[in-house]
Amino acid sequence: MSSTAVRAASFHEQPLSGELSAATLLRVFWRSLLLQASWNPQGMQNLGLAYALFPALKSLYRDQNELMAAVRRHLSFFNTHPYAAAAILGGVLHHEKKIARGEEPPDRVLAFKTALMGPLAALGDGFFWLSLKPAVGAFCAALVPFLNAWAAVLFLVLYNAVHLTFRWRMFRIGLASGDRLVETVGKANLPRRGARLRTVGAASSGALAAWLAIVFGRNEPASWAPLLAGGCLAVGAASYWLVGKRAGKYAVLYLAAALAVAAGAFL
Amino acid sequence: MVIWSHVGLAGLWGGLLALERRAFLQAMISRPLVAATGMGLLLDDLQSGLSIGMVLELFHLGAANLGAALPENDTFAATGATAAAAGFAGGVGLGTPATWSLAIICFIGLGQAGRFLDRALERYSSRLASRALSSAERGDLTRAVRQNLWGMWPVFVVFALLTAACAFFGFLLSPAVASLPLRLARGLAWAYPAMASVAAAIAVRGSHAKNAALYAAIAAAAVVAGVAVHQLLGSHA
Repeated sequence: MSSTAVRAASFHEQPLSGELSAATLLRVFWRSLLLQASWNPQGMQNLGLAYALFPALKSLYRDQNELMAAVRRHLSFFNTHPYAAAAILGGVLHHEKKIARGEEPPDRVLAFKTALMGPLAALGDGFFWLSLKPAVGAFCAALVPFLNAWAAVLFLVLYNAVHLTFRWRMFRIGLASGDRLVETVGKANLPRRGARLRTVGAASSGALAAWLAIVFGRNEPASWAPLLAGGCLAVGAASYWLVGKRAGKYAVLYLAAALAVAAGAFL
Repeated sequence: MVIWSHVGLAGLWGGLLALERRAFLQAMISRPLVAATGMGLLLDDLQSGLSIGMVLELFHLGAANLGAALPENDTFAATGATAAAAGFAGGVGLGTPATWSLAIICFIGLGQAGRFLDRALERYSSRLASRALSSAERGDLTRAVRQNLWGMWPVFVVFALLTAACAFFGFLLSPAVASLPLRLARGLAWAYPAMASVAAAIAVRGSHAKNAALYAAIAAAAVVAGVAVHQLLGSHA
C-alpha cells in the first residue's frame, strides 16, 4: 500500500471532530477504575478524574492550549461515590464533545460536575456502602458454614453483578444523555431497594449468630452444650444492647472474649 | 520454623488488597470475608481464613467510606489476623478455634492502625496533587495526569511489609501457642463463638435496617426452631 493510501486509511479511522472512538471510551472507562488511586484531602478525586478523562480530551482537543485548559478544569476539586462517578464521567464527555464542537461554553461542564457530584455521592453511599455491601456481606457470611470458600466467591459474584453493571450502564447513560441522566437514575429507585436489602443484612446476622452458638455448643460435652450455646446467644443480645448504649465495639468484643475464656478455663 | 514463601505470599496478597480497597476497582475483594479466605487459601489454612473472615466481616459490616471520613482498615485487620493465625498453626493448616480467637484478639486492632496509616499516606497523595497542578501549569499534561498512578506504590509497599510482618510474628509465636495450657486453650476455643455473637450483634446494628433487632431475632429463632425440629425428627427415626 502506498504512503498516501495509508494516510487516507488512517484518516478514515479517526473519529470526526468532537466525536470519540469506541476504543477511547473503553480506555476512559478502564482508567475510571483508578479514580481514587491518589485520593487526597484537597482535591479528593481530582487527579483520578483528570487521569481517566485524558485520552478523551487528547482526542477532542488537537490544539495544545485548548487541551491544557480542558485538563486544568478537571484538576479542580472533585468528589463523589466511586461507582456513581461513572455517570459523571460519561456526562463530562457528553459536555466536552459539545465544547470541542463550540456548541456550549466550558462553564457548562463545571456546573454539571458540581451539580451532580453531591447527590450522586449520597445515592451511591446509601445504596452500595450502606445497603448492598452489608446485605451481601452478612448473607454470604451466614453461608460460610454450608458453602465454605464458595461463600466468598458467591459474595464477589452477587456484589459485582450489581456493581459492574451499574458502573457500565451509568457511564453509557451519562455519555448519551448528559444532564438528563438524573431522570434515569431517579427511575432506578435505589433508596427503596436499599431499604429492602438492609433487612437481609440484619436477618442474616441473627441467623448466623444462632447457628454458630448451636454448632459450637454441640462440640462440647452434653452437660456444657446448653451453657455455651445459650451463653453465646445471651452475649449477642447483651452486645446489641451495649452497642446501642454507645459502648465501644472493641470494649464489648474484649469483654465477651474475657468472659468466655474465663468460663472455658475454669468451669 | 518460619516458612518464608508464606511470609512473601502474605505480603503480596496484603499489598494487592490494600490497592483494591481504595485505589483500584473496589470490587470488594478486599472485604474481610474474601481477603481472609484468600489469605487462608494461599497459606494452606483455608479454615482459619474462613473463620476469621466471617467474624471480621460481621464486625466491620456497617463501616463505610463516606465522603472524607475514613473507616477502619478492615482489610488489614483481616489479612494480618489470618496471616498470623496460619503462622500460629505452624503453616500446616491446623488452625483451631483457639488459634482463631487468639489471632482475632491480638490483631483486630490492626483496623485502627491501618486507618492511621491510610491518613498518613494521604499526605503523600496531596504532594502528588500539587505536583500535578504545577506540571499542568507548565504544559506537561501527560506528567500531570500520571501523578495519579504514583499514589499507589507506597500503599502497596507499606501494607505488604506489615502483612508479611504479621505472618512472620505468627510463625515466631507458634511454639508458644502450641504449648498453651489446656485450660487456656479451651477458654480461647469458647471465646470464638462468643466473639462471633458479638460481631453478629454489631452487624445487626451496622445493617442500618429499620427494626433490625426484630428481623435478627426472627431469623435466629427460626434457626433454633429448625435445628430443634431436625433433632426431634432424627431421634424419632
